[in-house]
Amino acid sequence: MFEHDDDISNDVTARIAASLKSPVRLDPAFDARVMARVAALPAHRPAGPLDRTWSWLRRPRSFAVSPLAGLAAAAGVAAIVFFAARAPAPRTSEAAVALDRTPVEFLLVAPRASSVMLVGDFNDWTRSATPLRTIAAGGLWSVTVPLAPGRYRYAFVVDGKRWEPDPSAPPAPDDEFGSPASVVTVGGGL
Amino acid sequence: MTPLRTFALAAALAGLLAARAVAQDPRLERLDPDTRAAVAPLVDAARQAGLPAEALIDRALEGAAKGAPAPRIIAAVTTLLADLRGARAALGTAATTPELEAGASAIHLAVRSAALVRLRAVRSRQSLTIALSVMADLTARGVPADSAAAAVLALAGSLRDDEFLAFRRNVERDIELGAPPAAAAAASVRLNAGGLPTSPGTPASGMPPRRP
Repeated sequence: MFEHDDDISNDVTARIAASLKSPVRLDPAFDARVMARVAALPAHRPAGPLDRTWSWLRRPRSFAVSPLAGLAAAAGVAAIVFFAARAPAPRTSEAAVALDRTPVEFLLVAPRASSVMLVGDFNDWTRSATPLRTIAAGGLWSVTVPLAPGRYRYAFVVDGKRWEPDPSAPPAPDDEFGSPASVVTVGGGL
Repeated sequence: MTPLRTFALAAALAGLLAARAVAQDPRLERLDPDTRAAVAPLVDAARQAGLPAEALIDRALEGAAKGAPAPRIIAAVTTLLADLRGARAALGTAATTPELEAGASAIHLAVRSAALVRLRAVRSRQSLTIALSVMADLTARGVPADSAAAAVLALAGSLRDDEFLAFRRNVERDIELGAPPAAAAAASVRLNAGGLPTSPGTPASGMPPRRP
């Protein structure tokens, strides 16, 4: 049984070896076709600066960072994020403000006042930010403020203590803080 | 500690700092600690909802500048946040900050949300800031909210912004001259709409006829 199987195996091996030893017959035009394809290939071009940069950028690298250096870098990132987020967001974008600001004149008649300040949404209700000036005899006070489109609450502070609404402007919807305010809307006009 | 863990820890720290910084606008430091602790989350909530948080800060600063007690400031800011949410629900997510602020003012004065929705439909391609402000201003002058809304809606399809402001000034002047607010608004609507008094020479709704 086993001897018979060995005979068959030897016979198959001999036939394969004979087949491999026989010369391969090729189509006479085969060489010409191969060379034509090779000639049609684009010429090899040396790598340019862009190729080298791209290759450099894609090449993976490993680097070591000490825990202290890692903390320092991360602290720097945290500081940037912190201060960027801490900056107050403008009411409208700077570009929009530059394009759309409308000068608005605020007037108040206060003959006996020694100082008048304008406070409102447009100056974070800071008393010292926008003082009015007398522009005529009789106590006519004025200041002009460029305002972006929007709806603003405001009031006058006379002599540093007395809150006055603008008598020539619509009243604010409520005086929930105990002293009245006025409203100015900047849109297509005043 | 490996560098990777260090970076992860630092990134988490940066995120916490950033979140804290966003919630604590430096202007809120002008509030007393109790007020600030209550207002800061409201401001943060507005930011997260895409609502104009500046308006809330401004309202809190107004209260602080006027020396209002903490509960009143917190109540005002809370109410404003609710009004801004109502305005956004009525005007849609495309509403601008000025539109939302003006819409919130109108809602605060009891103008119905449905009026804002209708106004958006009528003036779909124009800013609603002035129209909504006029609605709120008239109501603040004593015109009933429904009458103010009806007046603005009646003119919304034809008036430009500057004409809306002239309309408001006319109503205010008539009120100062003694006209009942609702009648003053109705008379101005008739004038702007090109209508005439029902009886020539007779005041419409008790108002003297306006001259062109």
